[in-house]
Amino acid sequence: MKGVKNLWAWALLTPPLIVALVLFVIPLMYLFYISLHEASSSEIFGSTLTLENYTSILSDGFYLGIIRRTLATASAILGLCLLIGYPVAYFVALLPPRRRMIVLLLLLFPLMVSNVVRAYGWVAILGRRGVINTGLRDLGVIDVPLDLLYNVEAVVVGLMTILLPYMVISISNTLSAMDSRYEEAAQALGAGPVRTFLHVTLPLSAPGVASGMLLVFLLTLSAYVTITLLGGPRSKLLVSMVYDSVVGFQWPRAAALAFILLALALALTGVILGVLRPNRVQGTGR
Amino acid sequence: MNAALSVGRAVRGVAAAVAFVLILAPILIVVVTAFSPTDYFQFPPPGLSLRWFVEFFRLDNMRNAFTLSLELARLSATIATVLGTMGALFLARRRGLMASLLQSLFLAPLVFPTIILGLALLLLYKTLGVPVFPGLLLAHCVIGMPYCFRTVLASVQALDPALEEAGQSLGAGPLDTLFLVTLPLIWQGVLSGWLFAFIVSFGELNTALFLSGPGLTTLPIEIFSYLQFQGSQLVIAAASTVQIALIVLMVAVIERIVGVGRIIRSR
Repeated sequence: MKGVKNLWAWALLTPPLIVALVLFVIPLMYLFYISLHEASSSEIFGSTLTLENYTSILSDGFYLGIIRRTLATASAILGLCLLIGYPVAYFVALLPPRRRMIVLLLLLFPLMVSNVVRAYGWVAILGRRGVINTGLRDLGVIDVPLDLLYNVEAVVVGLMTILLPYMVISISNTLSAMDSRYEEAAQALGAGPVRTFLHVTLPLSAPGVASGMLLVFLLTLSAYVTITLLGGPRSKLLVSMVYDSVVGFQWPRAAALAFILLALALALTGVILGVLRPNRVQGTGR
Repeated sequence: MNAALSVGRAVRGVAAAVAFVLILAPILIVVVTAFSPTDYFQFPPPGLSLRWFVEFFRLDNMRNAFTLSLELARLSATIATVLGTMGALFLARRRGLMASLLQSLFLAPLVFPTIILGLALLLLYKTLGVPVFPGLLLAHCVIGMPYCFRTVLASVQALDPALEEAGQSLGAGPLDTLFLVTLPLIWQGVLSGWLFAFIVSFGELNTALFLSGPGLTTLPIEIFSYLQFQGSQLVIAAASTVQIALIVLMVAVIERIVGVGRIIRSR
């Protein structure tokens, strides 16, 4: 009987484990291995082991500028998402259950629509023949269409709104699961609404803020299609460099850029978790 | 004191209004534009017509991209659901370091930058000589699997273990218990996992960007290359609206079967 049970457990685990290893772990290890090799004109990578790919990228002012722009753009998106997302999450959390479900459904649905469709919506709004330009021309405010598209600001606005629902859903989940007696206790002890918010509500919502920030940040880093459609050729970010290297068949360079992108993702994940320390909050509930 | 409270309420209300306009307006504009009778983008459109939908189904590359995306979504969601359910059944009642490591591994593709995974798979496929269609299919499976794993895991964990034990003490083997006890109780979770994986696959961009091949392009990538190279033809609006309509249908089904509340909480 024990033998049958063991066999059954292995039969359940083996297929998903093999898929996760063969199609996720091994390809990434192979990609890392490629990033440590010189380029080759005939093969995917040459035979010599080298750190050249990393050192040449990290000592190149052009790439460093791109990395800086990537971090600045991601920070702007994160900041705006937090600034707008927090009050919206609070608004959602205070709604009566039935209406909250409808509002959350309205937030969840856009996340399922492909990003390329949502980016196209922004092209239709910001483009030279777009909603804003034709509106302003009809009102007689402008004669020549404004260039609202193909700059970093368009990327920030577009990606911020595309990713905002993640932030709102994450924060409103923690807020509505929060024990309201904490806030009542603070008020009973004489704290005003501002103090209650700053010292009780805000710290207790750290787990939602952290998971919202992580999602927004990680999805910003790999949003190639949105960045390309809204940013154009002059506002490229690190992910665009990965794509350009692939198009140019520079495989080891593309691999190295991908791992620099990953390192950036991990570093910022560490910073967000280190500053907000969501685990601390979960412990205090017991 | 009351002033602070009402300022707070006003800020929340204004933020919510702004956020919903910013989130939903681009999607609504695309849908409205799709019914435009004009040759070029004009908003609001001067009339209503279905010409761009006719054009969408008339263009070979659009129609092929649409059927390929449907086929990929259907197959990859099915494989991902079987694999995700197996993983969830294995892990649901296990604790300890090994179990939490496995759980992280199964959930990892959810937060991992998919563009890196796409590149890694592309180079692996190139080395092994994997053809385009199976390559795309496997990539979509890996990306869909965590969604199925998560919804099924939540369903199994909400299940009373006594039910499965009762089945076993009455002499049912593991397979009988699975098909006669567990699956009938968790089918909602399994089905919503499948629908989720379908939706994710249908909109997938980052891996398909690298893995699409000549003549085998998914709908999102076809829309992307049209936008990049052919300017703003309104057939893209129709293609996008077909995509949105399918998702509205799926979300309605999910809501009917499990209720959206559970999905949002499991996020």
